[in-house]
Amino acid sequence: MPLSEFFKLSGIAIVIVGLAFRLRPTLVVVAAALVTGLASGLPLFSAAGKTGIVDMLGKGFADNRLMTLFIITLPAIGLAERYGLQQQSAVWIRRIHAATAGRLSALYQVFRVVVGALGLRLGGHASFVRPLILPMAIGATETDGVKPAEETIEKIKAATAASENYGNFYGQNLAPVQAGILLVYGVMRGLGYPVGLWDLVKYTVPVVAISLVLGFIQFALLDRGIRRDSKRAKCPKVTE
Amino acid sequence: MPEGDGVIDALFSLETIYVLTGIVLLIFSFLTFRDRTNPHRLSSAVFWMVLGCIFGLGAVIPNWLTGILVLVLVVLDGAGRVERGRSYADLVIQGRHALRLRNRIFAPVLTIPLVTFAFAIGYRVVGADASRGALLGLGFGGIAAMLVALKVTQATTRELMHAGNQLNETMGTVNILPQLLAALGVIFTAAGVGNVIANVIQQVLPANNLFLLILANCIGMTLFTVVMGNSFAAFPVIATGVLVPLIIRPFGVHPAMAAIITLTAGSSGTLMTPMAANFNIVPAALLDLRDRYGVIKFQLPFAVAIWSFHVVLLWLLAR
Repeated sequence: MPLSEFFKLSGIAIVIVGLAFRLRPTLVVVAAALVTGLASGLPLFSAAGKTGIVDMLGKGFADNRLMTLFIITLPAIGLAERYGLQQQSAVWIRRIHAATAGRLSALYQVFRVVVGALGLRLGGHASFVRPLILPMAIGATETDGVKPAEETIEKIKAATAASENYGNFYGQNLAPVQAGILLVYGVMRGLGYPVGLWDLVKYTVPVVAISLVLGFIQFALLDRGIRRDSKRAKCPKVTE
Repeated sequence: MPEGDGVIDALFSLETIYVLTGIVLLIFSFLTFRDRTNPHRLSSAVFWMVLGCIFGLGAVIPNWLTGILVLVLVVLDGAGRVERGRSYADLVIQGRHALRLRNRIFAPVLTIPLVTFAFAIGYRVVGADASRGALLGLGFGGIAAMLVALKVTQATTRELMHAGNQLNETMGTVNILPQLLAALGVIFTAAGVGNVIANVIQQVLPANNLFLLILANCIGMTLFTVVMGNSFAAFPVIATGVLVPLIIRPFGVHPAMAAIITLTAGSSGTLMTPMAANFNIVPAALLDLRDRYGVIKFQLPFAVAIWSFHVVLLWLLAR
């Protein structure tokens, strides 16, 4: 392969370095597009039968407007938020009765999967985990009003944060209108493989199932660890 | 009556939804322009106006012009000139509304999936493209949800659009990132980037060993995600360079299956990397963890386990 071929990879290098250094993602991506096009000898604007880079950028952007279609849902969601959507969701979450921190984390993961499957964007570390799930999990671990040890609290914090991510990352692909599914749909179409949105959803199902199983196992292990910690705390002499 | 059919076709086309979204964006732009709490209200308003024009006119104006408009968007954002106004979140008032409206507040947000699924099912029943049905449903669902929201809250249209604009400004310019990444994928394909990557991999791996290729595909996806902190950015690269030329095309593997499993293989990378700060580092700070990598450490065994599952699943379904 001639060395000049490798210049085509400069765009990938720009994306990696640019995002790793936390430059503006939009700027990084478009810079990568322009450099890649120029490095492979494409003209900036269409000329002499060759399609230009800017033309392709415009066409690619316009063809994929479906990825940003969700903006049309923002007025309704924004208004609902102003009129207490989160507060009323919190009422429902507080009704979850879980005996342990691990089971609560598992139930919250399920909640996030359901929310994702409905195509909604409801949840998050700031709006649900910090104000609701974490205090409920710590509350479930308190025995006779005694707060759990700091080590235990540290584990519970990490677990509740993780349950949000587990539920969010995998559950969102169950709705055909979420960003990840639409990205795959658009990119595959651009590559000449028109895939169906519902096919993408269908093949997500086994992944979501295993994410729930793995989450449940990990949260069950967390509960076991917490029980061990609390026993050790109660009778420190016996343990070592 | 072909003429009537034409009108119905036009009404239920994606272009209609794009034009409606464009109008919403133009309203946002106007509200941003009027917002004196926004330090860059003029340039921010121009950003949303240009995006609105691309939405409304994308099918009509020539591609080179759309391309230039995209460059305008990116320059405005790159120069840090797209800002948000002060937000008016009042938790006390929200709580009072919640007590009054109770579960009725869910009606507008549930309208969106309800209409989406109704359209998708309707399209499937009549044998039309259910993907298009879902997208149309999302668009009309957004409009229907606005009407339901107004009815439930008794708010004014002005307040509705204000709330939408505030939410849009909070999410910010990253909203257009997936669209830009898809455009990047188009240029990668035209430039032949995929062939270069595929050639390099073929020098190392035997082209007939599907398992090794799937392994390389999943490792590549995860590594790129770890470095960039974003599986959405990694996907167009891996899809053009590995997945399509080395797996889907030569082995005739189901494209939808292979593509979506590759995307979520990248999610393991997101769970493992401090680069995905919003998901891993910010929450650690928000929850007061002593170890700022505490969330990542907890997620690591899960990420490795589900990643291995992806490799096996993709291999089993591809054979």
